[in-house]
Amino acid sequence: MTGLNRRIAGWSLSALAALALPLVYSNPYHLDVLTSALLYALLALGLNLIVGLTGLLHLGYAAFFAIGAYTYGLLNLHLQCPFWLGLLPAALTAGSAGVCLGATTMRVRGDYLGIVTLGFGEIVRIAFTNLDRWTGGPNGLLGIDHPRLWMPGRGIFDFGVSSAPYYYLVCVATAVAAGVCVRLSRSRVGRAWIAIREDELAAACAGVPVVHLKLLAQGCGAAIAGVAGAIFAAKQGTITPDSFDFVLSVMVLAMVVLGGLGSIRGAVIGALVLGSLPELLRGFEQYRMLLFGVAMIVVMRVRPAGLFGGGRRHARTA
Amino acid sequence: MSSLQLLSQQLANGLTLGAIYALIALGYTMIYGVIQLINFAHGEVFIVGAYAALTVLLLLGPAALPWWILLVLCGIGALGACGLLGLIMERVAYRPVRRAPRLNALITAIGMSFFLQNAIMLLYGATDRQFPSLVPPIRWEIGGVTVTLIQIVVWVAGAALMIGLQALVMWTRLGKAMRATAQDLTACALLGVPVDRIIAVTFVIGSALASIGGLLFGLTYGTINFHDGYLVGLKAFTAAVLGGIGNIPGAMVGGLVLGMLEALGAGYLSSQWKNAFAFVILVLLLLLKPTGLLGERVAERA
Amino acid sequence: MAVGHRQGLRLARLVLGLLFAAGCGKPEAVIKIGFAAALTGDQAPQGEDLRDGVELAIQQANAQGEILPGYRLALYALDDQHSPTQAVSVAKKFIADPDVMAVVGHLNSSCTMPASAIYHQARVLQISPVSSNPQISRQGFDTFYRTCATDDLQGPAAALFIVNELKAKRIFVLDDMTTYGRGLSNELIKKLEALGAEVLGHEGITQGDKDFVPILTKIKSLTPDLIYFAGMFPEGALLIKQRKQVGLNSLFMGSDGQFDPVLINLATPQAAEGIYLTAIGSDIRQIPSAQAFVTAYEAKYGAIGAYSAYGYEAANIAIWAIQQAGTKDRTAVLAAMKTLKDYPGIFGLQNFDQRGDSLIRDIGIFAVQNGRFTFIKTASWD
Repeated sequence: MTGLNRRIAGWSLSALAALALPLVYSNPYHLDVLTSALLYALLALGLNLIVGLTGLLHLGYAAFFAIGAYTYGLLNLHLQCPFWLGLLPAALTAGSAGVCLGATTMRVRGDYLGIVTLGFGEIVRIAFTNLDRWTGGPNGLLGIDHPRLWMPGRGIFDFGVSSAPYYYLVCVATAVAAGVCVRLSRSRVGRAWIAIREDELAAACAGVPVVHLKLLAQGCGAAIAGVAGAIFAAKQGTITPDSFDFVLSVMVLAMVVLGGLGSIRGAVIGALVLGSLPELLRGFEQYRMLLFGVAMIVVMRVRPAGLFGGGRRHARTA
Repeated sequence: MSSLQLLSQQLANGLTLGAIYALIALGYTMIYGVIQLINFAHGEVFIVGAYAALTVLLLLGPAALPWWILLVLCGIGALGACGLLGLIMERVAYRPVRRAPRLNALITAIGMSFFLQNAIMLLYGATDRQFPSLVPPIRWEIGGVTVTLIQIVVWVAGAALMIGLQALVMWTRLGKAMRATAQDLTACALLGVPVDRIIAVTFVIGSALASIGGLLFGLTYGTINFHDGYLVGLKAFTAAVLGGIGNIPGAMVGGLVLGMLEALGAGYLSSQWKNAFAFVILVLLLLLKPTGLLGERVAERA
Repeated sequence: MAVGHRQGLRLARLVLGLLFAAGCGKPEAVIKIGFAAALTGDQAPQGEDLRDGVELAIQQANAQGEILPGYRLALYALDDQHSPTQAVSVAKKFIADPDVMAVVGHLNSSCTMPASAIYHQARVLQISPVSSNPQISRQGFDTFYRTCATDDLQGPAAALFIVNELKAKRIFVLDDMTTYGRGLSNELIKKLEALGAEVLGHEGITQGDKDFVPILTKIKSLTPDLIYFAGMFPEGALLIKQRKQVGLNSLFMGSDGQFDPVLINLATPQAAEGIYLTAIGSDIRQIPSAQAFVTAYEAKYGAIGAYSAYGYEAANIAIWAIQQAGTKDRTAVLAAMKTLKDYPGIFGLQNFDQRGDSLIRDIGIFAVQNGRFTFIKTASWD
């Protein structure tokens, strides 16, 4: 009982601190950096479902991010769909793409799966660049609406380009996603995913519906990326295909891996640290990717389970 | 230009591209054959070869010696640099994770790839570097098809290396040991084959082949950029899978076929979808026929 | 579990602390001019050229005395890495700094576009030296100005030159599938077709690609009079060189993204001989009002890059606006900018229309002769 109370108290404190932050500290640039890092955290949570819990190597995650962003963007530009309504289609299209990709790659084993997903990610990006009649091509989509919220006493409030509203939005989104992931990972579904990760054949023999669960994992993970994409599009106002490249996929993967495969906490913290690092190291950005590479090699060598991983044995992924 | 001439020209173009892909694909296939690792950083090794050759030229000066001597020197420079790189990579990054889960090894490879790419960028700059045109720009017109001296050099070098490799693998003791290790590493270890050394040698040979590919690449296109390794590497990997991963003649065939497909695709279909085209081939292959054209040769895994 | 989120809180506090520390600066009596461009990555040389121009302008202004009583001028340069996301981040950083009174930037249209919304919301004057995508000034932002001609002028100017001067009738158009390249090639094709020329094809190549022999072989089989490429110099150089390799002898014309001496080196002078280029502006060396700048720049930085003059001009106009405002206040600076009329810049008398586009709309035509860029004429675009 005490443990549970302490936990609730702890989470409430963190939540209050997070909510109070923009009121005490209103530098829009710093809030923006934090918002971006939290958006990465959202992405990391989604990828963690696929790679961390279920053990499916995915190198094309940015594609789902792109699909979500373009879905909201196109719906908004052509049908004047408001942001809040656009979230669901974004999640659904991305999620469906995840399921389709999962279905086609059901039999592909470990490292080949990585390459196939990489190919998929690149094909999506090139397609968005080349199909300029529908996607705006390399120009991308311009003039996407920012979210508008009706607030009591204030009327319609347009988020515009201020930083604080997006900070709250992403905080809430990440918290919700984290909550969902935690519940999932502790449920039968989560345990089944981990079983698939540890030994797919044994899991199948034990009666785990491997196919359904793999699709579920990829669908959910992709849907989360879709939501993140819609938020990103609404925040930026313009989206271009080159924001959704392989480097982004690898960065999110690095956050999940370094934070600890399967660990929700690890994914969020890994993302917060790695996501805000580029801004903190402004002036050293030439070395950023270099350090990423070194970090990945070193962590794999020294602490293969990541920062918060471990506690569970990690075996073959295929 | 008649359509037959056009076709022949595109095929000749594709053959040049294909030879380069083949040389790089060989490295992928050999490494995958022995340790079942997709060496993500192999594309970077390829471009390091090009940069090493460039460095040799910068040190000596492009006009210091007759071009074919310079060519040989560049080749030696590239071979040395990349052979060493392959050795270090294997020892430092890959050997420790050989027994680890597949994901870890792949992440290590990706990390190595990022590291090398950015190291090159920091050393040589982010903009394209000009690769001096060593080979005199002599052209011949044969039945309406243009063939340049550079293309001949690429074809000859590529063919010589591939034949040489095949000879090494088929007729020497080392080659036999490599084939045996690829077939069953544990059995070889038990029988006293120095598997660690064989794997290291495999890395060195694979990297050496890629380095010559890099030199030929620099000669053919005249500019090199740190980012070239990624894209060309992926296409070469496609070629290796196309021919059958682990299968050495397969990598050669795969490289040539992919090169020609790409040239034909760019020439007849669309240039802007060229890269997507290669990725589509890769994805379809892995989904439908992962064993490739000539069948893969990897160890049986329980 | 309880331990876990305490660790998390600690980490969060650490990160926040670092951010806070990074944000606190030492108070100084400066007025900053923000400068944003790609300073690392593939466009770094262009970004550096721009920065050198801006730096020179600021240095000269400081040498003449205080910009406003008690204040000196400082350059605040940030790298947007040719990434729209970074550009937004950089823009927010600028507007958060109370010393920044105006921003010169960005370099690439894809970065200037999203950033402009931020400057507009914060009511900060933004002058872009070289972003040429027409849509940026069509957003209705009164904070946006630019000192260069837009792509919807370069395209028609090139078309007129191609049809009227070069007498080409069959043209094949290539672009590099970027915001800039595709926009420009679309404008070019519209005008070419309006003039009655035959556009044999319009294809894109991918930036970073090396092998254009297949597409050039295909173009060769169509026997065009001229090939136009809207894109940057790395791909332009390869196209120019490889077209000779395949024996393609038609004329070649490129856009201002290829107007860089490196192009001739990469393409080899023999292959580049006789090609044409459009540039956003006439030859800086031919303009009398620019000579002082040319001398000063070359003394300090060496050879003038294609964009240096625009950075210089944009910075000087920003400095003028700040001086006119008379106080360290962004709204005043913006209001002062609106009063600009016949500003004596290095390109001549500068004026801006209500959208913020410069009324100096020279498009220069250059050719490569004897291994160097030679100015041919200032093109007309109607």
